Amino acid sequence: MTKIGRYFKVKLSKLRRFVLLGIIILFLLQFFGVKALVGGLTGSVAVWFVKLIDVFAYFESLIASKDFTMTAFWAVLPAIALYLIFGRAFCGWVCPMDFLYEIVNRIKDKRQGSGVGSQKKTIADKISPKIGYVVAMLLIVISALISIPFFTNYISHLTNFFRTLTGGVFLALDLPVEPVVVVYSLSVITALLVLEYIYPRLWCRALCPVGKTYGLFNKVSLLKLKFVEGECGECNLCEQMCYMNVKIARNIDRPGLRDTNCIYCGRCVEGCETKGKLIKLSLKRVKEL
Amino acid sequence: MDFTRRDFLKLSVIAGGALTVSSGLYLPRIFAADKELGPLPGIDVGGLIRPPGALPEREFRSKCISCGVCVNVCRVMKYDAIAIAGLRDLRNFGTPYIKEMRDFPCYLCMECPKHCPTGALQKIEKEKVTMGMALIDFGLCFGWNGDICLSCSKACPLGALVFDFHHGTWGNQPYINEKCVGCGLCVRYCPLGGSAVKVVTRSQYAIVKEDYLIKFKRLMAMPDEERYAVVYGQNLPEIIARGRLLEREHR
Ligand code: SF4
Ligand code: SF4
Ligand code: SF4
Ligand code: SF4
Repeated sequence: MTKIGRYFKVKLSKLRRFVLLGIIILFLLQFFGVKALVGGLTGSVAVWFVKLIDVFAYFESLIASKDFTMTAFWAVLPAIALYLIFGRAFCGWVCPMDFLYEIVNRIKDKRQGSGVGSQKKTIADKISPKIGYVVAMLLIVISALISIPFFTNYISHLTNFFRTLTGGVFLALDLPVEPVVVVYSLSVITALLVLEYIYPRLWCRALCPVGKTYGLFNKVSLLKLKFVEGECGECNLCEQMCYMNVKIARNIDRPGLRDTNCIYCGRCVEGCETKGKLIKLSLKRVKEL
Repeated sequence: MDFTRRDFLKLSVIAGGALTVSSGLYLPRIFAADKELGPLPGIDVGGLIRPPGALPEREFRSKCISCGVCVNVCRVMKYDAIAIAGLRDLRNFGTPYIKEMRDFPCYLCMECPKHCPTGALQKIEKEKVTMGMALIDFGLCFGWNGDICLSCSKACPLGALVFDFHHGTWGNQPYINEKCVGCGLCVRYCPLGGSAVKVVTRSQYAIVKEDYLIKFKRLMAMPDEERYAVVYGQNLPEIIARGRLLEREHR
């Protein structure tokens, strides 16, 4: 448990679901005319005042238009500031796919009667997470060539998730909407869920350019894994709990870890609580990192 | 791998089924051609009518990330004017446009350009907006066929700036000049069934402008007898037919 977690007496895994749900609810409230968060996670307006834009979407838009504007820059600054603090915590705490994927895996576990730690390795685990950088670069090149923010407009899970919501609401209220938009966006999300069923977390670990971009922030962010000195029981529970394949146990004698695939979900922390309590999420400075 | 072939088949069937059902529900609506009850059937809208403040089409497209801020801002403002473009035009998929001016025109509240995070929509003054250009169908407009209506000019947020009036025996005839910003409020408030005003894109206007002006000038110069024949022989029956249509739509 973190300090906050200890204070409220909730487990990290619960806390991060509260955060996610809170954010989704704030977005849903826009359909009732509440101006708390308007838009979606690719771009939004907070409290009718602060414009926000996803960092990868910003790059795509910048490269596709080959035009730098202060408007977009002011919108990406708060996002950058946020991730300089929290790193890739976006993925573990804010991204709706993380939650949907968890449900998919629950269903899968139930059907196949396997427990949490026993997620078997598939060939997908052999795919290097580095491939994501190639994918991201490719998408940027495509965007530049066709002058359209390609991933963000057509493929992005974030765009399509919120487009499904908005489109669905417009359909339900008989407002101007093209139903094909909803069908398309829902299909993309469904496809991602099917991919998750077959190859758990292949998307997040290796492919998603949004996550990869935030991963780079992990190298400098305030938030990081901090390891307490102590006796490691070598139970390897931490690594079994981590669905992002972060190599924790073999680094446990270092002061901490900055891994570009760590989403700070805190599952390793919870895993270790049964034995050594050696892992912490920390915003404080850690030497030699 | 613990994922068996059978699982996959089952899953595909479920996913496929869900998709077929959902698209089956909507297919008729996806492919239903808009019934052509609108004015000026010979003139196409000429593309997507963008929200106000949009950059020129190419730049707009390269900037817009389909975040939906504008769509939802318009919804929060309770105008519901902006729709998301579908797959008919692949390049423009996901981008915002004003779809149904007859029911949901833009009220020029200028909130969407204020909040667009990418700058695809730019903050500008109302008067400088260039969403499109409204064209009146002189064959359908009440004013041009012996009536006093002028609903369009009363609805227009720019009013006298945009409207020229020609009063005469044939009615109180409104004419929309090129200062029109294309918001579509006039389309909405025209009492004719299916509206007598159509908003087309600026590029489309450039193409049809010459033709439209020739027709307008011919109408202005038309001798009374000929005009009488046109109004009573052609236009009024059509106007009455659309009145019935409007009634049916309401019911
Ligand atoms: S990697 Fe992408 S899909 Fe996965 S949690 Fe992060 S942003 Fe969401
Ligand atoms: S707010 Fe701007 S970037 Fe977002 S969908 Fe609308 S026009 Fe595109
Ligand atoms: S200016 Fe206002 S009414 Fe017009 S499209 Fe934008 S938000 Fe909607
Ligand atoms: S003439 Fe019609 S479309 Fe043009 S500015 Fe006035 S109300 Fe808007």
